[in-house]
Amino acid sequence: MIGWARGRIDAFRGRGAHAATVPPMDGALRPNTLLEESAVLLRVAAPDNLVLYRGKVLFSSGAVIMALDLAGGVASEWRRCAAEVTALAVAGDTLAIGLADGTLMLSDGIDRVVTGLGPCITSLAEDGAGRLIACIGSASNPASDWKRDLLLAGASGSVWAVSLGDGAVQKLAGGLSWPAGAAMAGERVVVVEAWKHRLVALGAAPLVSDLPGYPSRLSAAPGGWWLSVFAPRNQLIELVLRETEYRERMMREVEPDHWIAPTLSPAADFNEPMQGGAIRTHGIVKPWAPTRSYGLLVRLDGNFQPVASYHSRADGRFHGVTSALQMGDRVLVSSRGGHAILALTEVQP
Amino acid sequence: MSAPLVAMTAITKEYRGVPAVKNVDFTVMPAEIHALLGENGAGKSTLTKIIAGVTAASSGSLKIDGQERAFRTPSEALANGVAMVFQETSLVPSMTVAQNLYLGNEKYFNRLRGLTIAAQQFLQSLNFNVDPLATVANLGAAQKQMVEIARAVLQKARLIIFDEPTATLTPEEKRYFFALVQRLKRDGVAIVFISHAIEEALMIADRITILRDGELVVTDQASAFDRDTIIQAMVGRTLSGALYQRHAGKVRTAGAKVLSVQNLSMGAMVRNTSFTVYGGQVTGVFGLIGSGRTETAKIVAGVLKRNFFNGGEVRLMDRAVTYRLPRHAVLDGVVYVTEDRKLEGFFEQMSIAQNLHLGRLAAGGPPIVSYGEMAALAEAWRGKLNIRTINADARVIELSGGNQQKVVIAKSLVQKPRLVIFDEPTRGVDVGAIAEIHQLIQSLADDGLAVMVISSYLPEILNLSDRILVARQGRIVEEFTPSEATEQKIMYAAVH
Repeated sequence: MIGWARGRIDAFRGRGAHAATVPPMDGALRPNTLLEESAVLLRVAAPDNLVLYRGKVLFSSGAVIMALDLAGGVASEWRRCAAEVTALAVAGDTLAIGLADGTLMLSDGIDRVVTGLGPCITSLAEDGAGRLIACIGSASNPASDWKRDLLLAGASGSVWAVSLGDGAVQKLAGGLSWPAGAAMAGERVVVVEAWKHRLVALGAAPLVSDLPGYPSRLSAAPGGWWLSVFAPRNQLIELVLRETEYRERMMREVEPDHWIAPTLSPAADFNEPMQGGAIRTHGIVKPWAPTRSYGLLVRLDGNFQPVASYHSRADGRFHGVTSALQMGDRVLVSSRGGHAILALTEVQP
Repeated sequence: MSAPLVAMTAITKEYRGVPAVKNVDFTVMPAEIHALLGENGAGKSTLTKIIAGVTAASSGSLKIDGQERAFRTPSEALANGVAMVFQETSLVPSMTVAQNLYLGNEKYFNRLRGLTIAAQQFLQSLNFNVDPLATVANLGAAQKQMVEIARAVLQKARLIIFDEPTATLTPEEKRYFFALVQRLKRDGVAIVFISHAIEEALMIADRITILRDGELVVTDQASAFDRDTIIQAMVGRTLSGALYQRHAGKVRTAGAKVLSVQNLSMGAMVRNTSFTVYGGQVTGVFGLIGSGRTETAKIVAGVLKRNFFNGGEVRLMDRAVTYRLPRHAVLDGVVYVTEDRKLEGFFEQMSIAQNLHLGRLAAGGPPIVSYGEMAALAEAWRGKLNIRTINADARVIELSGGNQQKVVIAKSLVQKPRLVIFDEPTRGVDVGAIAEIHQLIQSLADDGLAVMVISSYLPEILNLSDRILVARQGRIVEEFTPSEATEQKIMYAAVH
């Protein structure tokens, strides 16, 4: 009873769980233009899932897996799948491919299909012990419908271990808010919970919480990790996320592209006056504006604490960063919203 | 050469047999700006209080315009053309600025509107942006100081003594103040200017007198001094390392996120501000008066309340917190070392030991302790922070500004904090104590504590900070690393 009353008061005053607040991008997350100014390696539609497989840089673009020629800056079709590729991972000689129809394919010359994981494979990672860690973003919404899951406050995600040998699956954790990335750190399985803006080691306290954006995939870096953040948080969206009736009506009556929700690429539609109004002054996009899309790659140390970051700000082009791949002293970054693969040289923090 | 306006010869002042000023000769020429420098406790205030009739000398002679004088009250001194602007303002808080300006000089019948208009015109002529209708209690420290200065000027004194006049002023306000001082000088008014800011003394003074331990060290033309010789004369030693050396190379890496302020709002003073403070680092916050720095810190520490509706969030160690009382913040490990130590920092009539005990009590310490325990705690902190006093039983009011500040800091540190917010930690503190306080702040960060330092003094911010945040109009608007920060960049961000 007291909890209910407090909840009503908090909703009335806009505090507690009803505070539409956003953590600042400062300290290691201080905005810069390093990502925006990095070299464009390739222009391609919605690149995602950068991996290194048998000496080749592969990435997905829709239903196609493409091979990137680093020297020439061109890509060629490497494999075409039956559905959109939502996740890729390399485990030794095996390439794991997650598809939008819920299929997980293990390919090492011969394709094997693993089922039973659900319709929304968001990320795959090798655990170093003959298993894959598979993140299932939602039990009900496909990966492409991530906005709906966010607006419905989805918490039906799960993490599974998949045996590379026999394809047996084992559920490691459930009830997660859109697990979008995973990594093995020693004995710990570290999972990215996008809707809760945090990284958690399964069965332990959060490693990092209250990030200023929606984090997704983790990839290895020397002495640490790369964390892709595919969209920023802003106060308008935080407010909408707390207004259930408004949200439901918006989802009922408005096209998904025009929802007040994070996006992977900057809004440029006159049907979005509210979203656009906040970011423009006299027609000029303010770099510091509370935008719905943003480009952010975060360098984490061995303890998953942010130590540096690379940004493409509100007025930038390379938003919607979904994956990164360290290649020697270069880092390849897929900007899904900017339709480009970038090569940045790491700046030491 | 004209005769001196003020000539003090062999002045000695003793308090209970302890000399505060010993055998000092001091002269002030007409239309001269005379800087009086020295560490806290050097006797500067005592010497000038004797001139202004606040206290009487134990021995020695004071001549004004060649006539022997011994003022018994400040009003008697004022009648003879000597005014003093005190470090602690002597304004009546419940009255308006206009009423304070004309207090003691009212006519038999006063028209309030006429008083206000006259005050407005007078304040504008001094370039002081203070509303004459504002109640003094609602003014900030800088504005109170401005009213004090205006009052002294209004009383047409021939000698005005300013005790630390610029400590609370912003750089912009300081410029106006120095222009005013020069104008007073041109009008034939002599100025005695007590300050800890050596650069200011070098910049505006004609002559400089330096006192140390109640004795005169040197009086000479300002051109005969430089920064080093002044420090040498003031402290009798060279300070190890330059006091305001740039934070050279070694920047601490951020530890865990300790404090996250998110979209915090409080009226017009704090407007949707957000920032983070990390453990093991000193986060410096620079901003002009009115930029909302202090108010933000006070909301974090539970002294002030954020907006009732949509006031934003304060997260401590990733937990949203709202403190209704400062004590609740203290219990959570958040301490705020105030900028106004006299009003908010300590109980001046109590001893160091009692003050520290009260500090510990606020943090949930045992309510009943033996006198011996209390004294032992105070002695331990007296040693740690080098608080110079006879013993821990000394009343805080008897200490110099620097030592009082150390007591305020000790009172906070006994509370075993994890986040310490220093608001103007070295305001009104002498150079020797500044170095010690800076060292202490650095050591707290080295020990892993999250430290936030609010300062209006750019060299201090540059010297101490591992990150520099700039506040403007109620929010944090810029962040700099020490390597990229310059005084110009920070000031630009604070103003534009």
